[in-house]
Amino acid sequence: MTTKPDLAQRALERRRRQDFAGLLPILGGFLLLSPIIWVFAQAGTILGLPAVFVYVFGVWLGLILLARRLARAIMRDDPG
Amino acid sequence: MLNFNILLFVCLAYVALLFAVAFWAERRAARGHFSWLRSPIVYTLSISVYCTAWTFYGAVGSAARNGLEYVAIYLGPTLVFIGWWWLLRKILRIGRAQRITSIADMISSRYGKSPTLAVAVTFLAVIGSTPYIALQLQSITLSFSVFETAESGFGSANATAFWIAVGLAVFTILFGTRNVDVNERHHGVVTAIALEAVVKLFALLAVGIFVVWGVANGPADIFSRAAPDLLHPENIFSPRWATLVFLSATAIICLPRMFQVTVVENADERHLAVASWAFPFYLFLMSLFVLPIAIAGGSILPEGSNPDLFVLSVPLAEGQNTLALLAFLGGFSSATSMVIVAAIALSTMMSNHIVMPLWLRASTGHLQSSGDVKNVLLVSRRISIAAVLLLGYLYFRVTGGSTALAAIGLISFAGIAQVVPALIGGLFWRGATRKGALVGMIGGFIIWAYTLFLPSFDGGFILGAQTLANGPFGWEMLRPQSLFGLDFGDDLVHSMFWAMTVNTGLFFAVSLGSTPTPLERLQATQFVDVFRLNEGSGGYLIARSATAEDLYALAQRILGSDAAHALFTRVALSQGRNSGLPEATDDFVQLLERELSGSVGGASAHAMVSQIAGGGMVSVDELMKIADETAQIMEYSQQVEAQSRELAETAQQLRQANAKLTELGAQKDAFLSQVSHELRTPMTSIRSFSEILRETEDLSDEKAQRFAGIIRDESERLTRILDEILDLSHLESGRVNWVLQDVQLQTVIERALASAETLISAAGVRIVLKLPEAPLIVRADFDRLAQVFINLITNAVKYGVAAAPELTIHARQVGKQALIGVTDNGPGIAAHDRERVFEKFSRLSSETLAGSAGLGLPISREIMRNLHGDLTLEDNAPDAPGAVFRVSLPLADYAPR
Repeated sequence: MTTKPDLAQRALERRRRQDFAGLLPILGGFLLLSPIIWVFAQAGTILGLPAVFVYVFGVWLGLILLARRLARAIMRDDPG
Repeated sequence: MLNFNILLFVCLAYVALLFAVAFWAERRAARGHFSWLRSPIVYTLSISVYCTAWTFYGAVGSAARNGLEYVAIYLGPTLVFIGWWWLLRKILRIGRAQRITSIADMISSRYGKSPTLAVAVTFLAVIGSTPYIALQLQSITLSFSVFETAESGFGSANATAFWIAVGLAVFTILFGTRNVDVNERHHGVVTAIALEAVVKLFALLAVGIFVVWGVANGPADIFSRAAPDLLHPENIFSPRWATLVFLSATAIICLPRMFQVTVVENADERHLAVASWAFPFYLFLMSLFVLPIAIAGGSILPEGSNPDLFVLSVPLAEGQNTLALLAFLGGFSSATSMVIVAAIALSTMMSNHIVMPLWLRASTGHLQSSGDVKNVLLVSRRISIAAVLLLGYLYFRVTGGSTALAAIGLISFAGIAQVVPALIGGLFWRGATRKGALVGMIGGFIIWAYTLFLPSFDGGFILGAQTLANGPFGWEMLRPQSLFGLDFGDDLVHSMFWAMTVNTGLFFAVSLGSTPTPLERLQATQFVDVFRLNEGSGGYLIARSATAEDLYALAQRILGSDAAHALFTRVALSQGRNSGLPEATDDFVQLLERELSGSVGGASAHAMVSQIAGGGMVSVDELMKIADETAQIMEYSQQVEAQSRELAETAQQLRQANAKLTELGAQKDAFLSQVSHELRTPMTSIRSFSEILRETEDLSDEKAQRFAGIIRDESERLTRILDEILDLSHLESGRVNWVLQDVQLQTVIERALASAETLISAAGVRIVLKLPEAPLIVRADFDRLAQVFINLITNAVKYGVAAAPELTIHARQVGKQALIGVTDNGPGIAAHDRERVFEKFSRLSSETLAGSAGLGLPISREIMRNLHGDLTLEDNAPDAPGAVFRVSLPLADYAPR
């Protein structure tokens, strides 16, 4: 009887991961294409590097890491 | 200083290495050793064919001119790949299910295998890719020129470009056209491309690291050298930035070469999950050092140096010849890998969608006797490769290799982006039609050509300088670079805005206004619901008649004898035939068409099979099935519904079983507590009387006798209860040995009356016997049956309390059964208690059933049921008071043996 809610829970988490995987490019688009980028474009430097350079590459790397975690989790759910 | 001969030698050695790797991979694949060739790493690296010489040289040039703008070209693909679950996975699944061979095949298959659309997309792809191939030739030529080679071996830039084109054509033809079946994958080419991907990444990283830590003193230092306006962000994050991200996102899906490596060459859908983050990471690494190299170039090289060549000229200026050579090889890799894959993809499209249909038309009617299709395909593919490279070379000659690299690449991207509305719309919208796709695409293409492609020749091709400046015939409203007088400040944004608006608008409008053909609707369902349909569930439902011999002849011509033989044998076996050709069922015709489309594309395969099988004849009945494209989905949802109904039923049964179990558990608990209660009563009285006997000193003998008698009686009662419990449990678990024989019922009743004689006379009960004259013979265990009657009689005597107690025993034969009624004239049993008397230890009320252990009736009923009879308590006749227990029992002649 204990596996039943567990299964439902896992299915729910799986669905959530898949939804997040679909939303990731929208998140990326928002961070890189919306006026948010202007906040950093007008800022000065971070550790001697232009803030906007750090921001763009930082968001980029962050997206890659998130995508990696999601891809692995999704493949674990559904190895076929 | 590096001279031309060394460069040439290095190039040739590198190409020889590529040949060796490609050859080795083909050999391994031929032997079936795929472990390494089909890994996600090789897949990811092969996708990096996206990074061409444009990336390698052009990105630095773009960074030197426009700062961070170059990043947009890599952010688009990143967004597409991290969103793989939503889009790329679907394209891959469809590509596999439909055996798609190219982007043109994809679009054409979606819209009812339309040959017209396939030609249109092929045309668009060739026009769009030509500048791109020219760009690669230009970049290699330029890179040669950097190494100031006075004694240039080829004489001129044009000659260099020409020989490069020839070399690439040879390589591509050798490794790209070994197989006709595109789905069999070009292992050699893909492995070589993966190697080139490593070389170009390594080279660019090496130059970048050298610039940051060799030339400058760390990242902060290099950025401090940047020209103050280099990062001018206010100009970058503009509509152009968004346009570039959008363009590159579409390019990663639609460029023929990207479709080739991502979809067609994909061996396993799971590899996409790895590529979804690994490919963006590759792009990230490729872009990381672009800006530093651009800054270094701007600060150490003289004014007026070509920024497109900073990757080479910076190491050279610093005297790092080996590094420069490595960078040269990186650029060479980037250019060659792009040209090779693009040529394969384009040649597949050209031969499948242009040459094949023409050849088919030319040979209509005598397909059976015509030449070998396989050879026609191979030859046409080889010629197409040469043609593609020739076109690239011609574009290079016409533009004179003058335009900046990045600009050429963007023109290509914008051209191929015209496929996007039809592709994405077709994947997610069932209502998209062939007409809509075709009209939208052509509309967008015309706008693109008019506002971006033709103006890129600067008045040298079709559109003159006069037209560019003042519009055609002097109409200012139609000036190519500012339609309707709107100037977006950027040609690319201007062109993209109008082209995509016209394209999407026409696509939706015409789709809504046109009716798709049945095949289109069918394909639409196959594409849009690819994850919901089981493979093979969406048959064409089109009646076709073909002989297996004709189909075999066709398959032999296209797939080759061996492959055709293998395929037909396999199908024959699965149809249950051990020898000979398989039956030409609809399923088989469909399978064959799909196999053939892996070689010649969907539209051609459909045309060929139709030619033989007379396809396209749709009967009214079948039309009814097709007419509603939701039929497929309804069928699916019905299946789901049936499954969930089954589940609900099972759950219901489980619930019932559970309730039954709970009830049984409760009964058992009640039984146990009743048993202990029943045992306790005699125990208590035994204990109290024995205590009196022991502790009372002057007890009269008479009293002592009486008490001892009580103790004896109670002990007997205790024993009886225990016996009964044991008896019942034996009966219930079926562990009783029955001595079955033919028994005369009258004898049994007499024996029972005799046993109860004492009780009867003590209570003064009058017995009325109504037994038939003829003996009633039943099959039973004599003692057990007697036990039942003794029990019934005893019960009737004990509880049938009346003024003049009377007990009637009435036996008769009814049909195949003997029925015996035992009736008293006591108070009777209330209707709601009738079933309860058969429960263990149930005592209806203290007055009527006092003193009973309550097991008599349950035991009796159990005995009767074991003898295939029953014991019931029946309604009294309205005028007769008292309870009627009815025993039924099959007669010996009819009893089951």
